[in-house]
Amino acid sequence: MSSAAQPTLTNQPQSVSGARLVVEALEREGVKHVFGYPGGAIMPLYDALTGSSLQHILVRHEQAAALAADAYGRVTGRPGVCIATSGPGATNLVTGIANAFLDSVPMVAITGQVASPLMGTDAFQEVDIFGITLPIVKHSFLVRNTADIPRIFAEAFRIATSGRPGPVLIDLPKDISVIAASPEPFEFPAEEEEELDEGAIAVANAFIAGAQSPVLYFGGGIPIARAERALRDFANRSGIPSVATLKGLGGIPTDEPNFIGMLGMHGTRAANIAIDNCDLLICVGARFDDRATGKLDSFAPRARVIHIDGDPAEIGKLRVPEVAISGDISAILDRLSAKPSIAEWARQCRSQKEMWAARYDAPGAGVYAPALLKELSEAAGDKAIFTCDVGQHQMWVAQHCRFSRPQAHLTSGGLGTMGYGVPAGMGALLAEPEAVVITVSGDGSFMMNVQELATLRRYRLPLKIVLIDNSQLGMVRQWQELFFEENFSEIDLSDNPDFSEVAHAFGIEAFTIDHRSEVGPGIQRLLRTSGPILMHVRIDPRENVWPLVPPNSSNVQMMEKGW
Amino acid sequence: MTERLTIDFTPAEGAVVRMIGLVERRGYVVRGLAMNEQASSASLTIDVEPRDPSRRVQVLSQQLGRLVDVTQVSHSTNGTVA
Repeated sequence: MSSAAQPTLTNQPQSVSGARLVVEALEREGVKHVFGYPGGAIMPLYDALTGSSLQHILVRHEQAAALAADAYGRVTGRPGVCIATSGPGATNLVTGIANAFLDSVPMVAITGQVASPLMGTDAFQEVDIFGITLPIVKHSFLVRNTADIPRIFAEAFRIATSGRPGPVLIDLPKDISVIAASPEPFEFPAEEEEELDEGAIAVANAFIAGAQSPVLYFGGGIPIARAERALRDFANRSGIPSVATLKGLGGIPTDEPNFIGMLGMHGTRAANIAIDNCDLLICVGARFDDRATGKLDSFAPRARVIHIDGDPAEIGKLRVPEVAISGDISAILDRLSAKPSIAEWARQCRSQKEMWAARYDAPGAGVYAPALLKELSEAAGDKAIFTCDVGQHQMWVAQHCRFSRPQAHLTSGGLGTMGYGVPAGMGALLAEPEAVVITVSGDGSFMMNVQELATLRRYRLPLKIVLIDNSQLGMVRQWQELFFEENFSEIDLSDNPDFSEVAHAFGIEAFTIDHRSEVGPGIQRLLRTSGPILMHVRIDPRENVWPLVPPNSSNVQMMEKGW
Repeated sequence: MTERLTIDFTPAEGAVVRMIGLVERRGYVVRGLAMNEQASSASLTIDVEPRDPSRRVQVLSQQLGRLVDVTQVSHSTNGTVA
């Protein structure tokens, strides 16, 4: 019988290669950009990418693909997608996947794998990436049947964004991506709506109403839940002074009078004093991380705690609260309507904020990095997105730049990944092309993904890089100075290359400044340039980040700058 | 003190390793294991001991509960199901 005699067959799903099914699944999820690097086992997918609607960004190292996807996910709230081949390609993604896991960022990582019959035989470029990444993914799949691809990808995107977001790995054996199959229809059960704990909310309102010195302590859970509006409404309604973790910065605009600043190791003294004196701590989307609390036993020692989080597993992990409320953060905050009588307490907090405000009148004629960053942040305005690397410059950005939204501050908070800044800047630019994206890096971090200057050049991504160069691993040097009796070990980077010449070699405009009088013109040039540009800033290698809470100390035992 | 966790889960590739790995990484020693599997569901019983007294088994239960394949976690201390 001829097929023409069976017209119903034309409605049957057509047999499609696994690689094509992957591309269709990504398109169905609304993916526009993918970051990756091809290789043997993933070649069928790269074959299918041509002619698709997806724009592939060819990075120069797979780690950068994962870190760019991380930033893309932070800005858009949708999973960033990265692709690598099996073996070293897959293992090179690991740092970026861990980065997304530690900061709860939605990501889908796709790795090629050797063909199914070769798995477990130590084949060329075979590693068990599924096993390697188990501790650092929210979930993972090893695709065993081509027909499962549409369901697995749909599930991966759903898992990556639902509840507490995180990275999902899909390991795709080469034969699975070559074989053609007709996928079966699938559907997922509807998400159950969580009911709020009305009893706990009532107790929380009673605590707030009776508090004399409450503090609102918020963190990265706010941007994850897109709860900025509810947070700001609650802060305004209640008049409660607030402090932020590194990842919460921007949840409430930096300029708000009742926002006291970042707390913790490099936080403001005013924020740490407020926490120390509070009688009620309202923790929202934060997790009592050691960088924020200092010595946990002495953190908010006189306070009762209300802990609100989207993830119930965070509540009681490190400090058992008097009131625990998990669920939709915005819905919970909207139900907290109590108004405490705290005018005097709020005034005291604002007064402390003023008293301990950062100073920018550093002596000398050299570039003072905190002052440069403050001036840059003010000049760039609310359209700016700052991405950072890790080290002293990262803390200076957190301390001295102003943020009106959390997505304007992309920093590797949990993992602390040196090399994050430039790839994150690439991801942010593709996620929000109208933004002014500025990467602040250090001379140590910058070299960890310096190859991505080639990617900037290739795609003409107008990233503005501020490279703060102290010819040292500055944060390590600072700790060796303060806590290791000045036994400076392996922190000297004085043989750095000429960074402007490096940028020029990649075809990127660059210039160097080392005098305070050059800061203003340098910032203007940086912001006016339409393409990628690097401003190399030489600073005094002896400069430290202040204030600082020494390790194993209470947050009020802060060390301060001398001048 | 040894605690017993009973974890109901949907069998899937890596599910068991994921659960046991999480228990060890979160500061517990695995002292005993038993598993049974039926058509579309399975149950893993793990006896665990915290490496330090600050670890709360309630937190571990919730961390296990976050795993995608896990459908329910219960724990018992001294033979009493919590």
